[in-house]
Amino acid sequence: MRILLVEDDTMIGKSVQTGLKQENYAVDWVRDGVAAELSLGNDTYDLLLLDLGLPRKSGLDVLKSLRAKKNAIPVLILTARDAVADRVKGLDAGADDYLVKPFDLDELSARIRALSRRQAGRAEPVIEHGPIKVNPVSHEVRLNDTLVNLSAREFALLVALLEHPGIPLSRSRLEESIYGWGEEVESNTVEVYIHSLRSKLGKRSIANVRGVGYLIPKDL
Amino acid sequence: MKSIRRQLLAALLGTIFLALLASAYATYRSTLAEVDELFDYQLRQLALSLRDQAFHNTFAPPTENVEEELDFVIQVWSPEGVRVYYSQPHKTLPGLVQIGYNTITTPEGNWRVFATQLNSLVIQVAQPLAVRNAMALKAATHLMIPLCALLPVLSVLIWIVVSRGLAPLDRLAKAVASRSPKALEPLPEQKVPSEVLPVVRSLNDLLGRLAEALAAQKAFIADAAHELRTPIAAMQLQAQLVERAQTEAEAQAAIADLKAGIQRAGHAVRQLLTLARQDPDIAAKPRVSVALAELARSVIGDQIALAAAKDIDLGLASADDRALVLGDTEGLRILLANLVENAVRYTPGGGRVDVHIRCEENGSPSITVDDTGPGIPSKDQARVFDRFFRGEGTTEPGTGLGLAIVKTVADRHGAAVELSNAEPHGLRVKVIFSEFAGV
Repeated sequence: MRILLVEDDTMIGKSVQTGLKQENYAVDWVRDGVAAELSLGNDTYDLLLLDLGLPRKSGLDVLKSLRAKKNAIPVLILTARDAVADRVKGLDAGADDYLVKPFDLDELSARIRALSRRQAGRAEPVIEHGPIKVNPVSHEVRLNDTLVNLSAREFALLVALLEHPGIPLSRSRLEESIYGWGEEVESNTVEVYIHSLRSKLGKRSIANVRGVGYLIPKDL
Repeated sequence: MKSIRRQLLAALLGTIFLALLASAYATYRSTLAEVDELFDYQLRQLALSLRDQAFHNTFAPPTENVEEELDFVIQVWSPEGVRVYYSQPHKTLPGLVQIGYNTITTPEGNWRVFATQLNSLVIQVAQPLAVRNAMALKAATHLMIPLCALLPVLSVLIWIVVSRGLAPLDRLAKAVASRSPKALEPLPEQKVPSEVLPVVRSLNDLLGRLAEALAAQKAFIADAAHELRTPIAAMQLQAQLVERAQTEAEAQAAIADLKAGIQRAGHAVRQLLTLARQDPDIAAKPRVSVALAELARSVIGDQIALAAAKDIDLGLASADDRALVLGDTEGLRILLANLVENAVRYTPGGGRVDVHIRCEENGSPSITVDDTGPGIPSKDQARVFDRFFRGEGTTEPGTGLGLAIVKTVADRHGAAVELSNAEPHGLRVKVIFSEFAGV
């Protein structure tokens, strides 16, 4: 899962990025509203963490123009403004959730999980698809109730595929969901991880649509 | 305690009493004059009536027992100067006087005497003046007594009238006393008598200034609380990353970040305190003559380690020892330290920061700090003095208070702060004190 973090404070930005990376999210970090809009133009993000008090273009303006372009990406506002009126303004402008600084990293990840769950149309925190059960909180993966050991990258890839069952995701899209900016992407990595996932979860678990990408069949 | 009511009462009663005394004296004098005229006439009539009688030396012997006291004394003198008749055996009687009216002093008091010539005899009628005085005094006292009796009634009336006159002051005092400390809206100016209006206006003026100061204070506290959230949020995240660290290296990095975060929060709190202390309403420091060059050497000494760590060439480029400013040393040190610290902070490694202490052509002392940093875009130059304002694209951690502090101290010293771009790039901050700052 790839997250865009927009935060002008160096220390907060760095800490959030580090903390979320530890939870296997790919996090890109920009410091102002204009840079945020440029990055969002690529349409490769699953979630936006948005500060409101940003230089060059305020977070609220970024959010409004984002929604005006019919971009439905989940948005979590991170801000020091805690007045009810500010929260209402943020949520009305199209934010999905609102977190007031100072906040806890665990709460931030829980809210990110809840948002991605809602985005995927699930109410249950555990992703269940056929014989595969994934718990995004504990990072536990079970196949027919047997625990399967996955590396962090394999886990991120599996979750990305499970968010959209039956829909093929391109190799580059999958790469983006497991790597942030500045992280070196080795060639054939996606293929390597797909191969290892298949060997751990069964050959049929991930299908390949030639020239398009990979998908998890809708009825596994 | 002074009481307007009592003062007015005393002054009014005193004036009335003095007026009474004056009028009584005038009455006494005028009555005396009238009585004199009347009695003189009587003296004369009496003497003349005696003259027209024929005495022919056949004076009756003096009446032995006179029951009724008679003021008038009649004497008749022979041409030889011998008293041939006297109506009352007074011990001392005025002696022979000239013809006409006379006032004679005797051991028994003053006498008024009228003498007239009858053939060769002199008829003399005399009356003690004390009688006349007593009558005039009586008339004056008769006037005084009822008016004096009126004085207590007058005091009560004056007391009531004055109290009524002072009622608006009482009402004003009650209106102010019954206010809650937060009610700072102006007092109503309608129906206030013109004498009390200046008080109400001054009070309203004070209330207005208080409300402004309170609003500024509230805004500052709100801003400060808001601005402290960011460093605290960062510290909370950094502390969590320390907890989560899996390896020794990760833990070391996280702890280093946390320390930097704590340092930043500490700096923010210090800056806030400095700003609060430099607030012109609070700070009333004694003013002394401060040599700017000497102060600059000391401040540069404090900051040289920071500059050396970033490989920045920090120095005092010109130092005019005549540049003296009358001000408070601590405030000026804070001003200089903030300017130098800002310059060092925003200048990239290998850069240069120059401090100049000069006397301008008109004699105004000035401080100039030049750096080789990115400068401040002209659109931001007006706003950088606002509290908590931070320029766009600023990655250096800061509170946005440094230049606000500089401005506050400069304002307190009546100095102007000018921003311009240094050559070839960088920022020049110039603080110019007034011409007579050093006097």
